[in-house]
Amino acid sequence: MTDEELFTVVGILPQEEAAPPPQKRRRELPIISMVLLAAITFLCLFAELVMTKDPTYLDLANFSHAPSREFLFGTDTLGRDIFSCIWYGGRISLFIGFVSTAVSTVIAVVYGSVSGMAPQWLDSLLMRLTEVMLSIPELLLIIFIQAILGPANVLSISLVIGLTSWLSIAKVVRTEVRQLRQAEYVVASHVMGGGFFHVLRRHLAPNFVASIMFMVVMNIRGAIVAESTLSFMGMGLPLEVISWGSMLSLAEKALTTKAWWIVVIPGAFLVCLLMCVTNVGNYFRKSISRKESHL
Amino acid sequence: MADTLLEVRNLCHQFKLGRKAVIRAVDHVSFDLKRGEIFGLVGESGSGKSTLARCIMNICKPQSGQILYDGIDTTDRQAFRKNKTRLQQERQLIFQDSASALNQRMKLCDIVSEPMSIHHIKPKRGSLREEAAFQLHYVGMDRSYLDKYPSEISGGQRQRVAIARAVSMEPKLLVADEPIASLDVSIQAQIINLFKHLRAEHNFSILFIAHDLAMVEYLCDRVGVMYRGSLVEMAPAKELFANPLHPYTKALLSAIPLPDPILERKRRRIDFDALEFSREGTFTEVLPGHFLLQKEAAE
Repeated sequence: MTDEELFTVVGILPQEEAAPPPQKRRRELPIISMVLLAAITFLCLFAELVMTKDPTYLDLANFSHAPSREFLFGTDTLGRDIFSCIWYGGRISLFIGFVSTAVSTVIAVVYGSVSGMAPQWLDSLLMRLTEVMLSIPELLLIIFIQAILGPANVLSISLVIGLTSWLSIAKVVRTEVRQLRQAEYVVASHVMGGGFFHVLRRHLAPNFVASIMFMVVMNIRGAIVAESTLSFMGMGLPLEVISWGSMLSLAEKALTTKAWWIVVIPGAFLVCLLMCVTNVGNYFRKSISRKESHL
Repeated sequence: MADTLLEVRNLCHQFKLGRKAVIRAVDHVSFDLKRGEIFGLVGESGSGKSTLARCIMNICKPQSGQILYDGIDTTDRQAFRKNKTRLQQERQLIFQDSASALNQRMKLCDIVSEPMSIHHIKPKRGSLREEAAFQLHYVGMDRSYLDKYPSEISGGQRQRVAIARAVSMEPKLLVADEPIASLDVSIQAQIINLFKHLRAEHNFSILFIAHDLAMVEYLCDRVGVMYRGSLVEMAPAKELFANPLHPYTKALLSAIPLPDPILERKRRRIDFDALEFSREGTFTEVLPGHFLLQKEAAE
């Protein structure tokens, strides 16, 4: 008997495949938020093309200048052009948002997966540990770690924010992994010799990425807020490093001089960006819950 | 080289239920599997067949007893670590539930070539994709399935993909946990022929767990009957089907439906009184190659 004879299949004919019906566009797609988010990101990345003035130049002749044709958004109490600062500083804010989210997501995925795959006692230990850390206010933790690391710069502050914001994602990852590890394909992969990182990359991550997507997007928001808060309180970036947060830290001086544009304009951009990120994040969450079950 | 590939000695595995209750899923089971042999394991649901398979594949850790694979004690941690790669390559498992055994988010070509990519084996046929196509062809599926997801194919096809994945490593020992239970009859026959072919070509040893007794009689060289975690009878397939000795085996065999309706109506089912059964006794060879769990007092 040849192979062909042995393996002729009864009743299976090559199937003809019809073209899939055109899919309906999802109506809930947050187009305005996505366009705004893309526009802000794009303008910040190519700030040099948009800026009308040098954002770091202290134009002491024109401090606290109201918005005019020359200074589109006015100048702050140090005489810096706010229009230029917005784009230049947005870069730092977005950088902090993305870097700290990347840091916290990597930690959360690894920690959560280890905890999920670990035996009962180790899992309990790791989870109690996160609960202890969760019980400490995040801001306090950031200030502590920042104090250990010394004077803040952009990289250290994003690292610190990343180091403190992975806890809740790790808990979600752990719960998902706990369920997934019962699945026979995970067992099969172990039997075939797949190591921890192989299983994590090929089997676990694709399955839990949907459920943490919302939290990851919201983490960007949280990081930007944390940076602004710290800078506003004077514990974050120094004044000469321009970010939206450090721009807002001039607010108290501005309020006494009735220079509303110093507070309102960076504030408006911050709120706008956060709302866009929130909308996109919400869209992710909704699309997960109505995602087809693949069966 | 020794003739015996797998030797299971006095294997016990218990599941704890709550604080005190314990289920003895596998209870002092001993048998051996020769090279190139197909050993059938039959028994009712919950008789410990799958647990035994899982113990052999090191998924469950047995409480006591030994499993010797080619002289390596796989229940011993150190010995297992030392021969880890070899054991992982040479023993493959086919799961009962194919829906759960395949990752829904991977394409079939990735699923089938997964063991090869884990062990960084250079595929014989050029690329992993070609290799996957070949293995799928082996189980009767053509190239058009390579880019499909498990959710897009039928249950029988999924099972064949799972078989292709296990076979792709050309294992020495294939543990098949009810591989054909969810397949339709024509495919079942095809898979059974595939197993026979693999044995003939590559000298696979197969531990074949099933509840389709006709298939077991056709495929297997020797058959073990499990009941409530114990191996109650073990004999060459022909001998067992012709001359069952244990009352449970008799009852089990009498439940095979006959294709002839007149004979089928005349057939008498043998009832098995569960109370008669006791785990006590020893596994003794009553006829050449025919083992039976019985009380020694009878001698």
